[in-house]
Amino acid sequence: MKQNNIWIGEKDLTGDKEFIQESQNEFNGLTIEKAELAAENHQSNRRDFLKFLGFGLSAATVAAGCDIPVKRALPYVVKPDSIVPGVATYYASSYVSGGDFCPILVKTREGRPIKIEGNSLATMTGGGTSARAQASVLSLYDTNRYTGPMMAGESGFDMAEWDAVDKAITDKLKSARNIRLVTNTILSPTDRRAIEEFKASYPNTKVVTYDPVSAGALLKANELTFGQRVVPNYRFDRAKVIVSFDADFLGTWISPVEYTAQYSRNRVIKDAKNPSMSRHFQVESRMSLTGSNADNRILVKPSEQGAAIAYLAGKIVGGSGPAFNNPEAKKALDKVASQLSANRGSSLVVSASNNIHEQILVNAINNALGNIGTTVDFSNASMQRQGSESELASLASELNGGLVDVVIFNNCNPVYEYGGGAALKEALSKQGVFKIALGYAPSETNNLCNAVAPINHTLESWGDAEPKKGTISMIQPTIRPLFNTRQMGLTLLNWAGKNPGGDQPYLNFLKGAWRSGAFANQSQYVGFEGFWDKILHDGIYEAGGGSAAPSFNADVASSMSRVSKPSGSELEISFFEQVSIGNGEHANNPWLQEMPDPVTRTDWGNYLAVPVGFNGVNRFEGFNGLKDGDLVTLKVGEKEMTVPVIQQFGQMPGTVALALGYGRENTGLSANGIGVNVNDCVSLDDNGLTQYYNTNVEVSGKIGTEKHFSCVQYHHTYGVTATKEDGTEFNADEQALAYAYGGSGYQGALTDRSVVYNTNLKDLPESLKVMNDKREFAEHLNEATLYPFDEYTEGKYSQGHHWGMHVDLNACTGCGACTVACMAENNIPVVGKREVSRHHEMTWLRIDRYFYGDLTNPNTIYQPMMCQHCDNAPCENVCPVNATNHSSEGLNQMAYNRCVGTRYCANNCPFKVRRFNWLDYNTADIFPANQVPINGEEKPHGADNLTRMVLNPDVTVRSRGVIEKCSFCVQRLQEGKLLAKKEGRKLDDMDVRTACQTACPTGAITFGDRNNKGGELYEKFKSPMNFIALEETNVRSSVMYTMKVNNRDESIEA
Amino acid sequence: MLNFRFSKHLFFLLALSFPFVISAEPSFDDGKKVFKNYCGTCHNKSMLARSTGPALYGAEERWADYPREDLYKWIRNSQALIAEGHPRAVELWNEWNSVMNPFPQLTDDDIENVLFYIRDVVENPPVVVNGGPTTNETESKGLGDWVYWALLFALGFLVLILGRIISNLNKIAAAKEGSFAESKTLTQLLTSKGAIMFLIFAGVILGGYTTVNNSVNLGRQQGYAPEQPIKFSHEIHAGIHKIDCQYCHDGARRSKHAVIPATNTCMNCHRAITSGTTHGTAEITKIFASAGFDPNTNKYIDNPESVPMDTLAAIYKKWIGDQYLFKNELEELDNEGENIVETQWADIVSSLTNDQKKSIVGPIEWERIHNLPDHVYFNHSQHVAVGGVECESCHGKMEEMEVAEQYAPLSMGWCINCHRETDVQFDGNEYYESYAKYHEELKEGDRKSVKVSDIGGLECQKCHY
Repeated sequence: MKQNNIWIGEKDLTGDKEFIQESQNEFNGLTIEKAELAAENHQSNRRDFLKFLGFGLSAATVAAGCDIPVKRALPYVVKPDSIVPGVATYYASSYVSGGDFCPILVKTREGRPIKIEGNSLATMTGGGTSARAQASVLSLYDTNRYTGPMMAGESGFDMAEWDAVDKAITDKLKSARNIRLVTNTILSPTDRRAIEEFKASYPNTKVVTYDPVSAGALLKANELTFGQRVVPNYRFDRAKVIVSFDADFLGTWISPVEYTAQYSRNRVIKDAKNPSMSRHFQVESRMSLTGSNADNRILVKPSEQGAAIAYLAGKIVGGSGPAFNNPEAKKALDKVASQLSANRGSSLVVSASNNIHEQILVNAINNALGNIGTTVDFSNASMQRQGSESELASLASELNGGLVDVVIFNNCNPVYEYGGGAALKEALSKQGVFKIALGYAPSETNNLCNAVAPINHTLESWGDAEPKKGTISMIQPTIRPLFNTRQMGLTLLNWAGKNPGGDQPYLNFLKGAWRSGAFANQSQYVGFEGFWDKILHDGIYEAGGGSAAPSFNADVASSMSRVSKPSGSELEISFFEQVSIGNGEHANNPWLQEMPDPVTRTDWGNYLAVPVGFNGVNRFEGFNGLKDGDLVTLKVGEKEMTVPVIQQFGQMPGTVALALGYGRENTGLSANGIGVNVNDCVSLDDNGLTQYYNTNVEVSGKIGTEKHFSCVQYHHTYGVTATKEDGTEFNADEQALAYAYGGSGYQGALTDRSVVYNTNLKDLPESLKVMNDKREFAEHLNEATLYPFDEYTEGKYSQGHHWGMHVDLNACTGCGACTVACMAENNIPVVGKREVSRHHEMTWLRIDRYFYGDLTNPNTIYQPMMCQHCDNAPCENVCPVNATNHSSEGLNQMAYNRCVGTRYCANNCPFKVRRFNWLDYNTADIFPANQVPINGEEKPHGADNLTRMVLNPDVTVRSRGVIEKCSFCVQRLQEGKLLAKKEGRKLDDMDVRTACQTACPTGAITFGDRNNKGGELYEKFKSPMNFIALEETNVRSSVMYTMKVNNRDESIEA
Repeated sequence: MLNFRFSKHLFFLLALSFPFVISAEPSFDDGKKVFKNYCGTCHNKSMLARSTGPALYGAEERWADYPREDLYKWIRNSQALIAEGHPRAVELWNEWNSVMNPFPQLTDDDIENVLFYIRDVVENPPVVVNGGPTTNETESKGLGDWVYWALLFALGFLVLILGRIISNLNKIAAAKEGSFAESKTLTQLLTSKGAIMFLIFAGVILGGYTTVNNSVNLGRQQGYAPEQPIKFSHEIHAGIHKIDCQYCHDGARRSKHAVIPATNTCMNCHRAITSGTTHGTAEITKIFASAGFDPNTNKYIDNPESVPMDTLAAIYKKWIGDQYLFKNELEELDNEGENIVETQWADIVSSLTNDQKKSIVGPIEWERIHNLPDHVYFNHSQHVAVGGVECESCHGKMEEMEVAEQYAPLSMGWCINCHRETDVQFDGNEYYESYAKYHEELKEGDRKSVKVSDIGGLECQKCHY
């Protein structure tokens, strides 16, 4: 077994020669041989020298002779009171995408939204955000947006005026026999009201609601068993034992930000002496984000989910389901059942199954465990999923029957997302069906429409959202609509002939709805305006709901017999929604495309996850002998596709997995043609509900190699150990040094590197002792120097500020919100698939994923890794131009304009967090040859003035040829310090919060001043569970991590 | 005895200098202010040309036959002196036949100042200083240069003498050995290898020095004083009328930008002040046009962006014309008047519109004078609100600038220098209590002050991020 028993991937475990070679070089892809070859072919002579000299001189002369361009300054004519140029204004609003929701604050500068923060007044999320919420500000500046209303012409769409489009549409509506409004979940009570108004004018209208990834069975089961068609208010924070059947509740399922916050509350070790945490079992075939955080993963094939649920239900409520031939899972589920029974009322079973009877059994289990009313709460039930795709099937048959004349698509894409999309498309293209897109940007569905009535972005709209009964979050515009668009509610009111009028008609409508709604039901405020100002300011209105716990009523025995049956197929494939782009809704957002999947660590495409086979000695074989980046032919049912492969630890043997949401067509520049579409590979069950797996699947052997394999897992690794062919272990990085020192190796300290520490809850005291012994030893090594650190830095950081960061690895779930927040805050460029495949991704903050434990079913550690701001930084003393140096506040500073691009610093960084601008990713210079388009566009991302509006004006946009890295959000530190100075008070923790810290839904990241004795960071730094990565290298980093603790039930074999 | 005599001399000297102390010499600057404030509207500032009033140069000579007080009286209230029947006053009245405004508020000193200014403007025309370093620097540099030149000269002289001595010694030595050294001609000397090498060397050094110097200064704009769309005078606003800098530049205390004021800030005063000191209606009408304000009706135009240019032209031409009529007490526009209306309107249009901006209504596109590179973060409020730095330290005497110009080089060296020399305002700001060691040292007397550089003011990421 491995040292520390931790590995990063298959290449690491097997000592892949190429990988080891690569990890020795900081910069991949430019080997010395190549450079030498290039030099030979390009011998310079004296003539060349003179030519260059001459060119240089004349260029300098020309440059000197140029006039300095005249710059203009345009003041306001009438300055709005709320805007001070140069000072950010924050507005409370909401992130809403279908049923996905997050209460947010929008940071605007000079009237431009540039950053999303969480709204900490919302008890639901406590200020956390998701990667999608963070990235939503970029979609506002999407260059593919509809810029105005359009009518379908002979060749594509023709721009039109609103009046003409409105008239054409109302004519159609008036003469229509049946109108269907197709939509995703609508969270806004006011929008629902607008739809009611519309229906009043056009009574032959029916609303068809579905969700991009369905929770139809869950809703139906709750309706059948509890009489309420809602998602209950799950309380993961109240559960001591959590069992999830394939529900990725930390990543994508229903309300991940909320659940992540709740979940982490019981995962953080508050007291190392008396530790306690919840236990989490995940029953799944692929490794989901949630599964990777689980203590025990129980592997069952996708088609066995039903049998597994029935088996557990049988143990708890009695009865028996279909035959279940998975002895390991059975054994494990026996233990799960006994632990659930021991935690009645404080356990929770959830399932993402889209089979009604499986969901009924889950309800039965929760009911039998007494969880209804405690962890499964129906007061304040969630409204975040309301749809069922079975309605789409009836729509298709109605269309085929010629009953429907007008179909309105409200910002949804059923033709792509729905399993029966092809049939729907055919039904829609029948003669006489008038299709209207209330759309944001081109999509598979919108492109079929006859008229496009473009809608606003949420950040341009008025509105509200009711994610849970009794909790309403406001949506207020933070910018005027950038284009000639109109929000959905207003457009419907317009067509209904009920435009409330005024300067901002929808605001009037919204206010009217609130006046008669929430305002009428409260007693605190007498005047409406005061009430209105308060909710607009807070952004969230929590009246609290509350209905008695419903009674359970179901025929468990019948459901037992009607769950899905194990297929017995050799190979099964599961389809899943990715944390980043959902089911394609966010595919056109480059930040999300470039965000690596937390588990597979791939981006820009969907990769077929195949299991890793173990030969029993030290060799790992990918499934079918496949390796990372191999291309295979995947055959699902009748459909054949060519997909690249990623070897995935924890993927159940006999199963593969592929993400939904890719393979978009004719939509946006960064979505087109990326990956393959598998939405048509799902199957629909008897109830018309989507089953996100398929048992009729074949995977070929290797047929080629992916040209640009964009997986970041093996990029920027550090502390890698590997095994030689004779079985001995060595440190891959040290091997590089060994060459330099004649094969004798280097100081012994480097062989046993401290990268991450982990333990099981019951071994915690012992492991802490081991860790602290190692830390002591490291300290001892660090003192054995001619230049003792403490001596020569004495007094340097004793006053003023000394910044530091603490990352609680037990709170971190790896969701990636911080990485996107970092991109938004620090103007980090998007580089595209090819560049990522060349190790050129520019992210300042990456989340390293480590596996440990069992080889086929491992546990996972996520370690957010950013510049550690070492007080004894190795990068600083190798810079020939002093471009990177240390501040008196402990910051490792990077002066871009001083950097000449030698990259010595990046070579010398033990954490590999420095990024080099190989090309002109930001289009900052004038040479097009240096620029790189991300997905075959004409212009690179960021070259458009619209996209550039998202840039943070306080952060320099870096040009080609310079190194950059995490700055601890120095612009925020300076701003916070200035605020404290202006107010003449001490600096507070709240003044200095980094972007990653504010984005985190679990509060895993704490930033602060180590010299502030009363501060949060000072307390956290005292925890005995802390360690410092690579402490033995004496770099004195400013970031501390906590030991990762799991609560694995060791009696269950993996 | 000696002591006594010395003190007597001293007394004498003191007595001599005393009158100069009490009655200060007339000041050019004060005179300029008075002229701008009161005289400039009617009298030509060249002092040699006639305007509404006569050319002022030589007025003292023309009044030399009468007591100085008469000239004072004339300036303070000319009509009174005419009524008295003062011969020179009557003579002037007959010649010009127009009433000069009375200025009873002017003191004798004011009048002396302005008379001095009038004389001085003509006799010592001001040397136009185009940017360049401040006078202090020039002086100190000048002195330094002089010393260097003297030293260079002395050294050169020494080299010459030594050369002569060596060559003579060589000749003597050669003569002793019996050979006869041929003395080289000048041409030979100048074309010798050594001389050519020296010339090349000197050329490279000089060229390199100039190149480096010029490159370092690339992009710097000290003294940059572009013509602005509105001839806004800081001198009149900040100097004469003493409007506080932060009345208009209200971002300075709370934001990174000092902020060019919005047009509605101008309108706060200019709704009442509709005609300017120097340019009359020519410049202030541009403010009205930008704000969409109709001065004829004293009302804002509804939705001015959508009003056609012809309508706007009619409004503002009427205003300019009416003002001309009122000023000249005319009933109908004469040729000059029509000319003024057309020129001023043309100027308004050309100043407020460009390729992108077709309407005169809307933001005024000022030319930005102080430009920092994009990779520099500068925050006004840090310096103004926290550091208590005077605007003047970086922007110079704006209150004396008719046309605003960049006073400081805005180079990194200039910033750094100030950070080295400036004290941090430790007192009374609780924020700085985290610097406990410095507070202690200050208390103990081990430290006189805490400079900005002591708390990290020279570090890269204080300004570059």
